[in-house]
Amino acid sequence: MEYKKTVGIEVHCELKTKEKIFSPSISNYGSIANTNANVIDMAYPGTLPLLNKEVLSFAIKACHVLNLNITKDMHFDRKNYFYPDNPKNFQITQNETPIGTEGYVEIEIDGIKKKIEILEMHIEEDTCKSVHSDKYSLLDYNRAGVPLIEIVTKPCLNSGEEAVKYLEKLRELLLYAGVSDCKIEEGSMRCDTNVSISKTNKLGTKIEVKNIGSISNVGEAINYEAKRQEELLEKGEVLKEETRRFDDKTKTTILMRVKETGNDYRYFPEPDIPFVHLTDTFIEEAINDLKRMPDERRKDYEKAGVLPINIEKIIANKEISDYLENFLDTNLVIASNLLLGDIQSYLNKNSKNINETKLTNKKFHDLVNKLDKKEINNKIFKDILIDIMETDQDIDDILKDKGLNISFDENLLNDIITNVINNNQKIIDDYQNGNPRSAKALMGLIMKEGKGKIDPAMANQKLMEKLNNL
Amino acid sequence: MSKYLSLSLQEIHELLKNKKITPKDLVMECFDNIEKSNLNAFINVYKDYALSEASKLEELEVDDDLLFGIPIAIKDNIMVKDMKCTCASKMLDNFVSIYDAGCIDEIKRHHMIIVGKTNMDEFAMGSTSETSYYGAPHNPWNYDKVSGGSSGGSAVAVAAGIIPLALGSDTGGSVRQPSSFTGIVGMKPTYGRVSRYGLVAFASSLDQVGVMSRNVYENAILLKAISKEDKRDLTSFETNDDITCLINKPLTNFKVAIPKYFISDIVDKEIRDKILEIKTMLETNHVTVDFVDIKYIDKTAILYQIIAMGEASSNLARFDGIKYGYAYPNPKDLEDLYKKTRRYGFGSEVKRRIMVGSYLLSGENAKIYYNKALQIRDDLSKEFQKVFDNYNLIIGPTTARCAYNLNTNLDDPLKSFMDDILVMHANMGGFPSLSMPIGFNSEHLPIGLQIIGNRMDEKTIYQLASFIEKEIKDDFSEVRNGI
Repeated sequence: MEYKKTVGIEVHCELKTKEKIFSPSISNYGSIANTNANVIDMAYPGTLPLLNKEVLSFAIKACHVLNLNITKDMHFDRKNYFYPDNPKNFQITQNETPIGTEGYVEIEIDGIKKKIEILEMHIEEDTCKSVHSDKYSLLDYNRAGVPLIEIVTKPCLNSGEEAVKYLEKLRELLLYAGVSDCKIEEGSMRCDTNVSISKTNKLGTKIEVKNIGSISNVGEAINYEAKRQEELLEKGEVLKEETRRFDDKTKTTILMRVKETGNDYRYFPEPDIPFVHLTDTFIEEAINDLKRMPDERRKDYEKAGVLPINIEKIIANKEISDYLENFLDTNLVIASNLLLGDIQSYLNKNSKNINETKLTNKKFHDLVNKLDKKEINNKIFKDILIDIMETDQDIDDILKDKGLNISFDENLLNDIITNVINNNQKIIDDYQNGNPRSAKALMGLIMKEGKGKIDPAMANQKLMEKLNNL
Repeated sequence: MSKYLSLSLQEIHELLKNKKITPKDLVMECFDNIEKSNLNAFINVYKDYALSEASKLEELEVDDDLLFGIPIAIKDNIMVKDMKCTCASKMLDNFVSIYDAGCIDEIKRHHMIIVGKTNMDEFAMGSTSETSYYGAPHNPWNYDKVSGGSSGGSAVAVAAGIIPLALGSDTGGSVRQPSSFTGIVGMKPTYGRVSRYGLVAFASSLDQVGVMSRNVYENAILLKAISKEDKRDLTSFETNDDITCLINKPLTNFKVAIPKYFISDIVDKEIRDKILEIKTMLETNHVTVDFVDIKYIDKTAILYQIIAMGEASSNLARFDGIKYGYAYPNPKDLEDLYKKTRRYGFGSEVKRRIMVGSYLLSGENAKIYYNKALQIRDDLSKEFQKVFDNYNLIIGPTTARCAYNLNTNLDDPLKSFMDDILVMHANMGGFPSLSMPIGFNSEHLPIGLQIIGNRMDEKTIYQLASFIEKEIKDDFSEVRNGI
């Protein structure tokens, strides 16, 4: 009988509010150490916690997108333990009344859908960042008091693959809810996992794995850990509850400490923060502020004929997807191709983001429509791209200045094609002898004559018509 | 040196307004008092700072504010920027505040002059101020007697006439009990009336900054000045009421209750007799005075200890030698740093309470003791509330006995809790409560009357207190020159 894996995942996510949760310090990544820390963050005697309402809004949004029930009457608790990165030597968290309960995230593996159940989500404050060297440990209080949500699944995952899918989906939902940057490498998203294996319905010994540096590492950690436990059990060993860390270099899990019983945090309700009642109005306002979530957007892209591979590229780049939200009434295939292609290249090359250019909504609208109606072609677009991005001019004005309108003069087109056919008998003979490159050669001559003012697709169509009628 | 500071606030104000004296004169007189005093009321004083502030005030118009230019002493667990804030502990012996407390913002806004920080029990834990790292203050009525605590230094400074006004803090009686022992007026306001921002926390759900003064009117003036909602303290509330408006107003249809427990034989006979005298006097003046039963009133001391010590164990965890304050030099490792910093930085009473508090919150104990205490506390508040439905105020003695000899309690923690057995209820329910002197025992030590009011009803307390003050001929100023 195969061992079955039982996996639970805990994710800590930094909420990207402007200020910290219990103090008015700026909450920011990358500032010089200890420049965003005030007397409250540093637990000076006599200081008291505030409560940042933006944190509550963000947490409500997270509850909503994760299908959690929102706890309207909630409070905070003190979790008491001593550690240098814990300035007050207690952490303000929610033990008794987590803001969200009983939710889920739906994943799909090989066409089969599964609901990953979330037990609870609660709000808490982050600790200092510590850096250890040989002689010293250094503390950066910038991170102390940054708001976190902790999301705990039920032990309902059964493989590393499921874990990876869950985390990818979770990350996507929280990113699109606008509540977190979810960057594991910056620490704004941290994943720990609990793994046990068993041949029966009785769960095996639960072992925690921490310090995992990427979503794919989570899958690797779970698979490695399950295998490690299996090997030990097969040898007849008894497993103890432990905390292990994942080592990315060796792709193994390494023992940190054996779990002792009596890890007593002496929880009690935080007396400095009055109990909170979330009104229906406050909850509604938070939820109404949410932008459209990825699955809804995917449906629109699909309907518009965007290729699946491009749909995923767009969703993976939230900036582009958000930008597209303004242009749902245009040709999304063209719009997305522009954004994923030439416009993205331009932005990368010039190290800008889209808001830093002169590309206005009107201009982009015009651009997409003109390409859609074939008033301009891709070549013309490439010629005017820089002008679009860097000047205040309308598309029409740019085209006029550069004399680049495609004329839809069919007669002109016919004349040119006829001309080329008449003057290049040798190539026509080659074509009729079956040379595949002849048509291309003819097209080249036609385009040259047209001085870039003709639409290649239309020209090709007419050429082939004429050739077949010879 | 002239004795302007012994005049009433109104008289001093007149002299300042008419430029007969300057704030600098008041400061000089105050420091003269401090330097002559052997009562150990202060931990640190700041003469240069005070004189410089006084000079600045001389540039300003003296407005109608009675507090303008008045020197004040602050208990050493309240943050005053650039002054040391030691909490009478080795742990903070060299700690200098880098911010002002919420109540200090108001003190400064009223142009009062802070002269220094007063002596207290270490981290406000105690009822005699003997646990101070800097030695105990002495009662001006009898040098060998305790001043009371934990705001002993502030009480002594006012009682001995060193300074007219002081701030203290009251968690389980620490403003009222020393006020009672030293014969001054001490008020603990409704929980949330005065900002706790900048008050070093002992028990967060019980602590309040309190006002200590020579008489009722001055007490009300100062409390009014520091009552303000502070956005930095989520437990503080908006206060627009004028708590001075009923002072000296007639007591019409006044009904007062005395809990039977407050007049039982846990209280010294001399004190009980004095309370009964007050009762008779009030009845003569058409005030109804009834004895009442209040459920849980005799269990309160235990509930208080559970809650106070539990919260304290958590509030004092931040003192670890890492961020500020005392740090054990050259520790072996992190655990050594924590253990030795706290072993040597804290005194024994503080350590005892932290350990008991930690125990009360541990494992299953939290449910058995702490959570249960919170529930019964709610019920106790409701019982007091029922009394206020039918009576304006509750009165009784502040303490069960008068000031006793120094060095008697030190080995018996339970004895010192007896000192607060009548005052903890007001903290537990968040009710305002005042202590005022009403007489002496046979040793000529002051006896205090406690007046407890409904939440936010400080004005009715002051109304009754001002009436009683008028009836009692003594103004208890006898030792105000006994520096």
